[in-house]
Amino acid sequence: MSFGKSINRREFLAQAGVAALGAGASLQALAQAQAAADFRLEIAPLKLEIAPGKVIHTVAYSGQVPGPLIRWPEGKAITIDVVNRTDIPEIVHWHGLWIPSDQDGAMEEGSPMIAPGGERRYCFTPRPSGFRWYHTHIYAGHDLKRGLYSAQFGCFYIDPKNAPGAYDQEIFLSLHDWNAYMGGSADASMDAFYDYSTIGDRMLGHGEPIRVRAGQRVLFRLLNSSATMTHWLALAGHDMTVVAMDGNPVPVQARVKAVRLAPAERIDLLVEMNQPGVWMLGETRAEVRKAGMGVIVEYAGRQGEAKWIDPPEMIWEYRPFARQDPATSEPDVRIPLIFISKFRGHGEFDYWMINGKSYPKTDTIRLDEGRRYRLVMHNKSTDDHPIHLHRHTFEVTSLEGKSMSGLRKDVVVVRGNTTAEIDFLASNPGLTLFHCHQQSHMDFGFMMLFRYR
Amino acid sequence: MGVYLVLRRIRGRKIGLLWTVVLLLFVSAVKPAAAQDNYEIQVYGSDTVAPRTTMLELHSNFTVDGSKPLPGSVYAADQLYPTNHAEHETVEITQGITSWSEVGFYIFTSARSGQGWQWVGDHIRPRVRAPDSWHWPVGVSLSTEIGYQRRDFSTDTWTWEIRPIVDKQIGRWYFAVNPAFERSFHGQSVSQGVGFAPNAKFSYDFNKYISGGLEYYADYGSLRDIYTFHNQQQQFFPAIDLNVSPNWEINFGVGVGVTAGTDHLIVKAILGRRFDWTHHRAGGSESTQ
Repeated sequence: MSFGKSINRREFLAQAGVAALGAGASLQALAQAQAAADFRLEIAPLKLEIAPGKVIHTVAYSGQVPGPLIRWPEGKAITIDVVNRTDIPEIVHWHGLWIPSDQDGAMEEGSPMIAPGGERRYCFTPRPSGFRWYHTHIYAGHDLKRGLYSAQFGCFYIDPKNAPGAYDQEIFLSLHDWNAYMGGSADASMDAFYDYSTIGDRMLGHGEPIRVRAGQRVLFRLLNSSATMTHWLALAGHDMTVVAMDGNPVPVQARVKAVRLAPAERIDLLVEMNQPGVWMLGETRAEVRKAGMGVIVEYAGRQGEAKWIDPPEMIWEYRPFARQDPATSEPDVRIPLIFISKFRGHGEFDYWMINGKSYPKTDTIRLDEGRRYRLVMHNKSTDDHPIHLHRHTFEVTSLEGKSMSGLRKDVVVVRGNTTAEIDFLASNPGLTLFHCHQQSHMDFGFMMLFRYR
Repeated sequence: MGVYLVLRRIRGRKIGLLWTVVLLLFVSAVKPAAAQDNYEIQVYGSDTVAPRTTMLELHSNFTVDGSKPLPGSVYAADQLYPTNHAEHETVEITQGITSWSEVGFYIFTSARSGQGWQWVGDHIRPRVRAPDSWHWPVGVSLSTEIGYQRRDFSTDTWTWEIRPIVDKQIGRWYFAVNPAFERSFHGQSVSQGVGFAPNAKFSYDFNKYISGGLEYYADYGSLRDIYTFHNQQQQFFPAIDLNVSPNWEINFGVGVGVTAGTDHLIVKAILGRRFDWTHHRAGGSESTQ
């Protein structure tokens, strides 16, 4: 893996100035380059105490977990300075945003790395509105302290121009797993396992509770920032209404007892607080709650032990939140993609291949701007893959042979031994990365590039 | 998952009655010739069965060339039932207790022409391992096993074993070593103190489903008085493991004994089925529902 040249702030100012003057326009760009950034992130080591005596040695943004919430109006340009205080090159990916390749924060697309001790200013106009996030996008390989195994993640919310805001309280929560190690998985190859799990920066029972009042409508915005783990979550005693997935309103809102979140997925849940008491919002698996994944929800005036009620067994599907009729637009081009693993021993991570090739040897697929593409993904492995397309939003058009429409996402889980189809409009020229969001999969070959003609 | 039955014997031969008497006297005058371990022939890995999960295994071992009865006797020279052409069926039930502990229970049986199908004995085997959270560079566990076996099948009826287990998977290669120590509490070997019976294994993953390698089983005798090589048990099993499903364990091997104190040829098979009593939704990257 080679790293692009990163630039320090002085170089950036000089280059931006030259570029702006050279373009003949834009004094505004120069002014923007010279002005203080709207946000500043510092990538640095952090000792995070997730419970008394349980300290995680990790790397985080600006000394907090998750990193600072970036909240910004849709359509307004933003500048974010990122300083790298670690001893390895880093990069920040702005997940789910329609921004240029060199700002997107993926080295494979041409975004420069930030050298150790270096700094970079990201400048872009955030869109589309909704719940996005930002995170490191580096290779971790066998170093299960790096990349998404670390604490380099944060929420990014782009306020829509017309926000209905039909809620009384809004709470951002991120799910994460800590102290990863390699272990034998049920499917015979190695997988990442973890010592601890948290919602936010504290294990269940060791942080401040979420305080609510009876009668409130609370909007939970949940992010699964885990490097590899899919999580199931429920708020004991309460139904939850799914209003958005990956930051995009769902065509059909539906009430559920529990939700599934694969790595990188987000979900917005509206909950009517109508069961006064002290409850757990936590992982549905007892062993994962015991490892720390949960937070206490406390009604005003209520005290005592937090209560947990197992939700009923359920099969999680995207379908109830989509329209059942097929997509109205037929694609201009269908692109078949076959996912398969290559066994490398029971003591090693598998290699992953798309159409028989592992990144960087995967084929780069050409796109024509303005055309609608359908990715027909055949997952011929037993693993689930949360598939992410950079810099675009796609529509889920078929899962396991059944058509659907209207569900817009940037991560979709293609379950083991199934087929999924997604459509996207080629509307954002530039190199575009496509990959499984499981760190151990993308690191070992599960990536591919699209290139606009 | 090895079980030591302290089946002391020497190899049978076609000899006359007089020689038989002489031989019996000789056997009683010298230390036991060898130990044989042919009810459950398996090198332990360090992993334990997951909590709320039960592993049911059937160990089937056929001795192609073993001890034979003395002329006019149903017993071999060691006053035990012969092993030649004996089919040993062992049922092993292992229950996971925590993420780092389990308890195993064994039912040993033997079938042989002339003796029918007989119950041999039972053992119980608690085991603990270094939890994953310790992040040791190798897998380590410690097994202890105590049990009874009938006098017709073993010169020692009550025995105890402690078995450290160390293993490591590196890419396609797997290594395991079980330096086991044994003690008899009732029977011929009580006075011998602690015996040393190491096992070891290495294997290579040919693909996701088939691994092949070599297993080694030995008994060096008492730590106070190591047997001569002639009397030691030294046995090698080329073996394959089939990984067709996470719920099944399949192992097959052919063992060759290279000393006089070892059964010369044994065919072994292990068929295991895992029963997961939890109804959790899986984590990791495996299909989640």
